[in-house]
Amino acid sequence: MKNFNWLALGFLAPALIVITVFFLAPVILTGIFSFTSMSTSTGVTGGEYLLNQSGLRALADKGLNQVTLDQLNNAGYVVDEQGLAALAEKHGTATADEMRKLHDNGQFSARRDMERALKDLKANKIRSTKDRKAAAELFKHSLLNERFEAEANFRVALVEGDIPIEDHEIIVTQAYTGWVWTVDNVKLLFSLPSTLRYAGNTLIYVTLTLIFNIGFGLFLAITTFYLPAKSASTFRAIWFLPRILPPVMYVLLWKWLTWDTGFIATTLSWVGVAPKNWMLDTSTHAWVVVVLINGSFGASLGMILFSSAIKAIPSSILYSSEVDGANRWQQVRYIILPHLRWPILFVTSYQTLSLLTSFEHILLSTEGGPGRATEVWSLAAYHIALDNYGGNLQYGLGATFAVALVIIGIIASLFYLRFFNFNEMVAKPKIEG
Amino acid sequence: MMTISILKKALLASAMVLSTTAAFAEDITITVWAGGSNASDSYRMDAIEMAADILSKEQAILGKELNITVEKKRDFGGWSEFKQAVTLAAEAGTAPNIVVTSHLDIAPWSEAGYIVPVEDYLDLDAWPINNIYDNLLKIASFDGVQWGIPQDAESRPFFFWKETMSKIGYSDADIEALPAKVQAGEYTLANVLEDAKKAVDMGLVEKGYGFYPRASNGPDFAQFYLSFGGELQDPATGKLVLDKTAMQAMYQFFVDAVDAGITRKNHIGTDGSQWYADVANGKVAMWHGGTWHYGRYTGKEGNNDFFGTIQFSLIPAGNDAGKANTITHPLVYLITNQESDRAEEIAAQLINIASEPRINTLHAIKSSHLGITKQQANIELYSSNRWAAEATERLLPYASSQPNHLQYGAFSEALWKGLEASWTGVQTPADAIKEVEAELIAILGDELIIR
Repeated sequence: MKNFNWLALGFLAPALIVITVFFLAPVILTGIFSFTSMSTSTGVTGGEYLLNQSGLRALADKGLNQVTLDQLNNAGYVVDEQGLAALAEKHGTATADEMRKLHDNGQFSARRDMERALKDLKANKIRSTKDRKAAAELFKHSLLNERFEAEANFRVALVEGDIPIEDHEIIVTQAYTGWVWTVDNVKLLFSLPSTLRYAGNTLIYVTLTLIFNIGFGLFLAITTFYLPAKSASTFRAIWFLPRILPPVMYVLLWKWLTWDTGFIATTLSWVGVAPKNWMLDTSTHAWVVVVLINGSFGASLGMILFSSAIKAIPSSILYSSEVDGANRWQQVRYIILPHLRWPILFVTSYQTLSLLTSFEHILLSTEGGPGRATEVWSLAAYHIALDNYGGNLQYGLGATFAVALVIIGIIASLFYLRFFNFNEMVAKPKIEG
Repeated sequence: MMTISILKKALLASAMVLSTTAAFAEDITITVWAGGSNASDSYRMDAIEMAADILSKEQAILGKELNITVEKKRDFGGWSEFKQAVTLAAEAGTAPNIVVTSHLDIAPWSEAGYIVPVEDYLDLDAWPINNIYDNLLKIASFDGVQWGIPQDAESRPFFFWKETMSKIGYSDADIEALPAKVQAGEYTLANVLEDAKKAVDMGLVEKGYGFYPRASNGPDFAQFYLSFGGELQDPATGKLVLDKTAMQAMYQFFVDAVDAGITRKNHIGTDGSQWYADVANGKVAMWHGGTWHYGRYTGKEGNNDFFGTIQFSLIPAGNDAGKANTITHPLVYLITNQESDRAEEIAAQLINIASEPRINTLHAIKSSHLGITKQQANIELYSSNRWAAEATERLLPYASSQPNHLQYGAFSEALWKGLEASWTGVQTPADAIKEVEAELIAILGDELIIR
């Protein structure tokens, strides 16, 4: 520890904090969530114990015997001595006596009926709604629809309700409202037919967009390299626009271009082509637009990196090649491209990873349509975890989708490192050895 | 002597109680968040403010000073953003006291403990709850517990553009008789295909504008499933039902509409404003929407002669197995779980008062929704409104609703995915059904009945 450099740590600290908060923590949390049954209905922070009609139905499906089920279901409200004694304590013996007279041993299945029974009191009316509701609770035997914060309390209530001890376990498990650890999400992931579709869509999306990205980025970098400096900068600036436009605006422009009342449809209608939605007409249309939107956006990154890399090639090499009679194509093939190996590796891996996880342009343009044809993996994860008309968001399953993406990303990076012979490229130059 | 001293004591005690409570004024802030609301829905929140005023006055008569500040918020991006905001706030312990949301949220939010039942605080047999339509109250309950109070009612009718209908051969009398024919099952979705095709073929509307459905997922499509004899929930067991025959027939109907050139293949995702503009002014022969559309058509879209230009009915039956129907998807007032029981109690009192027929009528008429209580028929503002009166009479008695079930969200998503895939030609209806079935079995397990 003698050489430990506190100053360096001080300089690194902000970066470390940012990485921990914005990268490590979300990844770890997603990893944790993916092995839980977390959803809107389980909540995030923990659960309580609640038995309701849906719970009873599930218990019946899980094979809980009918006697116990009936016992749980029919307990309801009973006007018994214990309840009457409690009532006497709260509202006086006269009230309790009148209640006994009216409804001794009366059984009521719902709270509303119990409250109605209490309204029958004439001489000793309980006038306030609040008091009457409290009084009704004195006669409650049923466990149904009551939330217990702690498991122990719930078990005590089961014992008090004379529920056979051997049935407690299954009831307690069912009644827990919070999330539990589970591998069901992974099983579900492999059994859902849509998983394969999303995987296929992602493959199409990443491959095509990547080819477009890199190819077009290279094309722009090389062509602008041979242009006079001023026009080269103008061209590059134009192709940089998609990146500096806000994504919402950028996609909106594409929508205006492709809608059935948009630019393409209107222009083509002049030559007799029936107007159609050029973005969503068929899945092919959608794919072309999605690739173009993302490709044009991504190409600028490659263009900038490749351009600067080309500029870094010693001009003497290019001059000497010209002396040797090389044409432009030969220069590109034998000098420029080999020198661009590093930046191509970088852009390819970087873009693969960002394409795998980016879905904002698809969400804004096709929203995965038509008919989920452009629903890529990350968009599906978003839809599952954060977008559901019926309200029950599946955080756990969504996280499993996201984790699968992380795994695929890591495998892809390892593959790239190997494919581009990373070790060799970062080896010390032989001349310095 | 004895009585006098008791009386004295009682007076003294009540005076003390009064003086202490008056000395300690109670200040409370109640926040209301309303989802899916725009300017015309302002009474969803304003009603709470009015209720706060009344409650404070009631308390003042009892000698208690209760100052309620109502904070209102309705600016959320859309339904998903609203639901994310509510659930995240609830997790963080900062949930608004009152939310106005879809009744479908009751199942997951009650399970999660985000909301508390209104029946914990309110007498369901007392005014005004005892005047609310029973079917609406039931929609705001889950598993036999009254979780919320319906905030409004609506229903989702089928619309016809009268001029187009008369040009394809319907007399005025025929058009007037349409709603009754639809209800009796004499005018079906097959007739819709036929008539819309006529309208397109005769050039009355453009290709793809014969039948113009909703352009995004929503409760509306479940209506067409019901039209073909489908059932959403098994009444005996409470489980969700996938009736494959009905579902496939429903998918096929939309595919047929696309094939016949009366519905656009890429209709899904049509911009909302464009959609309204298209239907409100005769660009479309037939479509379906909601009762609240009346306000939009006659307001922003500038249709000054609604009843002269548009006919409305139930959603027609699809075949002999199903019948004409409509779904009502009321929003509900829910009370969230708070640290302070007092805040929950006051919130409950407020939504109770806000459900007074006269107050609710303000919302119903301003936003073109339907009333929640029977007595609204006796309130001039409501009864003199032709749309509210006719829509209530023609649609509400036949309205069903989507089930409050923990997994209904997943069910409805799967239904929609299959429809989307068939409609856009990505899959055949038969293939789509297979996938929907496999998906639902995997997700719902025992909670699904397949027919």
